[in-house]
Amino acid sequence: MPEILKVNNLSKSFGKVRAVHDLSFKVDQGEILGIIGPNGAGKTTLFNLISGEIKPDAGEVIFNGKDVAITQTFKKCRMGIARTYQIPRPFLNMTILENLLVGSIYGAGKSYKESKKQCVRILEKTGLSAKSGALVGTLPLLDRKRLELAKALATNPVLLLVDEVAGGLTEGEVEEFLRIIHGVRKEGVTVLWVEHIVMAMTKGPDRLLVMNFGRRLFVGRPDEAFNSPDVQKIYLGDED
Amino acid sequence: MTAKPIRLTFIVILLAFLVTMPLWASRYAVNVGLLVCLYVTLASMWNLLAGYSGMVSLGQQMFIGLGGYTLAVSSMYFGVPVYLSVLFGGFISVFLAVLISVSVFRMKGVYFAIGTWVIAEALGICFSNWGYVKYGMGMFIQPAYKLSMSGVYYAGLILCVSSVALVFLLLRSNLGLALMAIRDDDQASETLGVNIFRCKFICFLLSAFITGLAAGVLYLNAIFIQPFEAFGISWTVNLLFIVIIGGIGTVEGPILGAIIFVLLQQFLSEYVGYNLIIFGGITIGVIFFAPRGLVGTLQMKTGWELFPVRRQ
Ligand SMILES: Nc1ncnc2c1ncn2[C@@H]1O[C@H](COP(=O)(O)OP(=O)(O)OP(=O)(O)O)[C@@H](O)[C@H]1O
Ligand SMILES: [Mg+2]
Repeated sequence: MPEILKVNNLSKSFGKVRAVHDLSFKVDQGEILGIIGPNGAGKTTLFNLISGEIKPDAGEVIFNGKDVAITQTFKKCRMGIARTYQIPRPFLNMTILENLLVGSIYGAGKSYKESKKQCVRILEKTGLSAKSGALVGTLPLLDRKRLELAKALATNPVLLLVDEVAGGLTEGEVEEFLRIIHGVRKEGVTVLWVEHIVMAMTKGPDRLLVMNFGRRLFVGRPDEAFNSPDVQKIYLGDED
Repeated sequence: MTAKPIRLTFIVILLAFLVTMPLWASRYAVNVGLLVCLYVTLASMWNLLAGYSGMVSLGQQMFIGLGGYTLAVSSMYFGVPVYLSVLFGGFISVFLAVLISVSVFRMKGVYFAIGTWVIAEALGICFSNWGYVKYGMGMFIQPAYKLSMSGVYYAGLILCVSSVALVFLLLRSNLGLALMAIRDDDQASETLGVNIFRCKFICFLLSAFITGLAAGVLYLNAIFIQPFEAFGISWTVNLLFIVIIGGIGTVEGPILGAIIFVLLQQFLSEYVGYNLIIFGGITIGVIFFAPRGLVGTLQMKTGWELFPVRRQ
């Protein structure tokens, strides 16, 4: 399997906080890499660095063989890097369909007509079909989380960054997201998935990257990760 | 949502009224109609920036002054036909917009507002110290004497209709979708592939072009141009008044706002010192009782829209 993403010695500090500290790892195409770590470990910052919203202090982000560490966010999206936000950031005064159209037209570069077809398919896949004309302001949390994923999918991603999409949901709802993400991977999309829920992280990813204080603590199969003494140590006394 | 046939009928009647106006209305009424048309145009362009693209400009007067002066210089000094001169005014405004975009686009929010204002003031000072345009004394725009009132009126009407149509079509286009997304959450829109700079740049240039054109027609009617008036902040203050009263971020708002503004201005022209106080009072009242403006508040309560821009 060819590598789709390679992160080399990536670092980013906010004042004295080393949010991401000399981090390196690789991801193969079509892989689901889970990312776990205590609060403040730097997971979201890592996503911000990969998606381009934050520029690194040092290091490389090699996507498809090219260093994109300082490429503009919208260009990265068009290259195929999509993300979801930990706290959903929908366009509140727009309908669900319009929310998706943005990604499909601008990110995937499709015509209005094609976009609409694609968005209808994604709405079905994410269980939002019935509400496609609703304004987002009226949606409950679960639908906003679905929408967050749907928007990212509308850009036709090669690499999908999922930031705690299942947080705060019931077990059944988490299972639903597991199914959706496995479905997405089947289509060839590579997924980086940050989540605190152990069930999702044991069933979902092929491998786990465990982060602590911005550093890489462990990389390997989920069962190995959860059995590793280092990993157990950082989670002891920590909430979940 | 208002049914389509009703909306169309309403628009057709309104257009018929405006198009036939010079045939039956008094010269004074046509002149008022012209002013309404021009203020609708100018306000729609300010609304495109402030209401839809998140660029609250306080410098629209730079394009008004430039449009006016281009008309004066090219028709007086070079004998260019007046309407062609008006067109030049539009192009020169776009040229200025391109020049300053590099610097003003680095500024956001209040800084953008102040930045555009400062540029307009600087231009006013330049023109008042420039012998070629007769310093602060200003210039006559004589060829305009020969124009018929209805000719100028129709020029204004064309601008008015095309600017409203342009905003409407633009909002229904893919660019409009991006603008809505940027307005709701600019960073999130960027992660979905929207090139924010490009979207704003297009709107900025369009706004400059049409504002420059409208200014030309405005000065056809004024016959005289002076730098501190032409590049004065009060232009944009008036547009602000119009758009806030009518409803910022709505297509119809600038239309209603401009009608109210021009009528009030005519009505208050005898009480020179008081009109600013009255305009200010009305604006505060509207902000207090109908924060989205008259049209915006009406739309929220009734769902009525003359120009619906939503995608089904
Ligand atoms: N924009 C910012 N400015 C200043 N500090 C920041 C910023 N973003 C993140 N940080 C800090 O960087 C560290 C890593 O934060 P980050 O959000 O990446 O953690 P996380 O692993 O996503 O945590 P969580 O599990 O709570 O989502 C934290 O100490 C945080 O306070
Ligand atoms: Mg986080």
